[in-house]
Formats: sequence, structure tokens, C-alpha cells
Amino acid sequence: MTKLFRLFVFLMIGVLTWAAYAVPDAQMFAVPEMARLIFFHLPCALSCTMFFYFGAYLSFRTIQSKSLSWDVRAASANELGMVLAVLTMITGIIFSKIQWGAFWSWDPRQTSFLFVLLLYSAYFVLRSAFADPEKRAWVSAAYALFCVLPATFCIFVLPRIMESLHPSNTVVDGQLKGWYGWVTWSLVLFITVFASIIYKLAVRAGLLELKVLENYGNLETRGGDTALTGVVRPIPVPDEGGAQS
Amino acid sequence: MASGLFSIVAVVGVAFASYQERLSPSVASGLLWVILLFSSIVALSRSFVAEEEAGTAILLRLVARSHAVFWGKALFNLIQMFITAAVLSILLFGLTTQTVSHYPLYTLGLLGGCASLAGAVTLCGALAAQASNRSALVGAIGIPLLLPLIAMGIGATRYCLGGVGVGIASRAVSSAIGLSVYAFAIFAVGPWLFDVVWKE
Repeated sequence: MTKLFRLFVFLMIGVLTWAAYAVPDAQMFAVPEMARLIFFHLPCALSCTMFFYFGAYLSFRTIQSKSLSWDVRAASANELGMVLAVLTMITGIIFSKIQWGAFWSWDPRQTSFLFVLLLYSAYFVLRSAFADPEKRAWVSAAYALFCVLPATFCIFVLPRIMESLHPSNTVVDGQLKGWYGWVTWSLVLFITVFASIIYKLAVRAGLLELKVLENYGNLETRGGDTALTGVVRPIPVPDEGGAQS
Repeated sequence: MASGLFSIVAVVGVAFASYQERLSPSVASGLLWVILLFSSIVALSRSFVAEEEAGTAILLRLVARSHAVFWGKALFNLIQMFITAAVLSILLFGLTTQTVSHYPLYTLGLLGGCASLAGAVTLCGALAAQASNRSALVGAIGIPLLLPLIAMGIGATRYCLGGVGVGIASRAVSSAIGLSVYAFAIFAVGPWLFDVVWKE
């Protein structure tokens, strides 16, 4: 990250934090001043959904190209999606306690989101079960694609066919208006961009790891020995993560 | 065999626990689908795990096309699941005081649910078969995948077992249709996904 970009990120954090406090309280909630948790909860949920679908697309590319580099990208996207899903769940639980009186209300959307968390936790369990990188890549790509169906059902269908404490169609019906809408959408953009930067770094680290694995045995240590120790000669790695994803 | 015995034991246990008591439609529906879920996980996933353990998977890879293997296993599991559901329903209504108020919807929900369970567990079995801890892994990846199905299944059968409430009938119809669509989607993409993991 350049210095200018870092400055921009800090400036954005400052402006958005100020804006989140400056907006008037949302009166339709039980504790209006604490409804500001939505500014973090909703962007995390939207970004996590985007990352899971992006991960499914990357898994499709893994199967199509039979390339481990796409698997690195798919795993990174799902990892980011998982982190955002955990943040969504934590903020949702706090919101539930404040506004609805209980940490867990068995609300359809809350429960279906838990299903999504379990689905993607199983993705990482499945990955950890295979030692062979190629087998791991194909199996987890197939699973990630298979997950699209239940995940879509859990995210978009289940909360809408059952009565929920969550307001439904908040985004589709344009219920976020005025200041609330501006701050929420700015945070959606900011969190997505911030997560994308982390995704790019994760992909770069994953591709480097892949390169080291591919060159295992050909690397030399500083002393000229084989690469059994952690100190290896640096190898040039192109910026594939940024160029292709 | 295993799924049939599991279902019988589970229903006898439920009937014994609820002796002379009428289960609420939600509880009866939940129990029905939980028994179906675990009987499918116990038995169906074995179809590929058994091939790997016996060493016959290599022979299958050599002599048969992947689509043929998937459809063979999936259809066997589908028939097994239908038989299990039929036996389970007969036992549940025979041993408890539970009755069905809407047979066509109940049958549609059960058929759609069993087809979805069979397709999903066949695929889960294929995914986990080549892992070292395959038996534990099938449950770990299968149950999260099947939870939405169970939620839909409960929604479909609750009304048929006498459930009342606002929108419960329309929810039952949409859940039964949803299960059928889910089954169709699994059998549409299943052979293609199976091809990816089977060949490699």
C-alpha cells in the first residue's frame, strides 16, 4: 500500500466513524441509539455473501483450469467470507440482545446464517482432511460449488418464507434512506474494498507458498545445503494475484 | 439394512417415550426428519467409503464411466431412502397416535426430501471417500449441507401432521416444491461435480 492510500484508508475510517455517530437515532428500534450496529452488521453480511459467491466462481475456475493457483484464490475468498460471516454473526448476536432481549432468538435469518457458517466451516474441515494439494483442490472446489445451492437457499429463500424479526428486503426495497443509507452504503463499499485488499495479500501469500512447494528440493539455503531449514534463497514471483483476480 | 434398522429403533424409541401422548405436529415432523437425516448419513455415505475400503474403487474407475457410477450409486441410495421413509412412516403412524391430514402433500414432501437427501449424501460420500478420516468427515460435511433440507422437510410435513397456523399450508406447499426443486438441482449438477472428484 502506498502512503497516500494508507492516508485515504485512515481518513475514511475517521469520516465514517464520525458519520456513524452524527446520524440521528433510528426511532423504530427498541434502543434507537444502539441501532448504529447496523452500520457494521449489514456491510459485513453483504460483503461475506459477495465473497462466498466469488469463492464459488473461483472454485468453478479451479475445476475448469485444473490449476492450483485458482484453488489458492478460491480458498482465500472463502476464508475472507468466513471471517466476515463470523463478524456478522457476532454483531448480530449483540444486536439481538440489545434490541430483541436475547442473544439468540431462533430468528429464521439468524438460524439460516448459522447454517451458512456451518456450511463453510465444513469446507475448511474438508480441506484439512486431504494432505495432497491437488486432491484437496478438486474436492474442495466441488464442495464449494455444491454449497452454492444450500447457501443461496439459506441466505435468500429461508428467511423470506418464514416470519422473521429481521426486516426483510431492506436493501431491495430501498428502506435505507437519507443519512442511514449514505453511511451504510459507504461502509459496504469501504469494508468490501478493505476485505479485497486483505484478499489480495492472502492470495499473494498463498501463491508464494505454492511456488515454494513447487520448487521444493531445488531451493538452496544460504550455506548451500538443501532447503530443509526455513532460510531459503528468494525466488522471483510475478504479481499473479493482482493481475488475474 | 443399517438405515432400516436405525429407523426402526429410533421410531420404537420415540413411540416408547411418547406412550399414550400425542406428539405436537412440529415435534413429530422434526423427529421424522431427524431420523431420516441420521439414517441417510449412517447408511448412504457408505456406498463410496465401502468401495475405497475394499479397494474396488480403482476397478470401478477403470471399467466404468463416472456418470454411470454416480447414477448407479445415487439410484441405489434413492431406492433405499424411499423404502426407509415408507417403513418409517408406517411405523410412526402405527406405533404412535399420529395421523396424516393431507396425504398428497405429505407424499410429495417425503419423496422430494428423500431424493434430495439421497443425492446430497451420495455426493458427500464421494467427496469424503478418499480422505483419511472418511467416516467422521461424512458426518461433518454432510450434516451442514442437509440442514436446509431438513428445515424445508419439517415445513412441508408439519401441516400434513395436523399443524395449524397463519400461512402454514402455503409454507408447506412451497417447502414441498422447494424440496423437489432441490432434488432436481442436485441430480442435475451431481454427475458433473462427481466427475471432478472421481477422475482425479
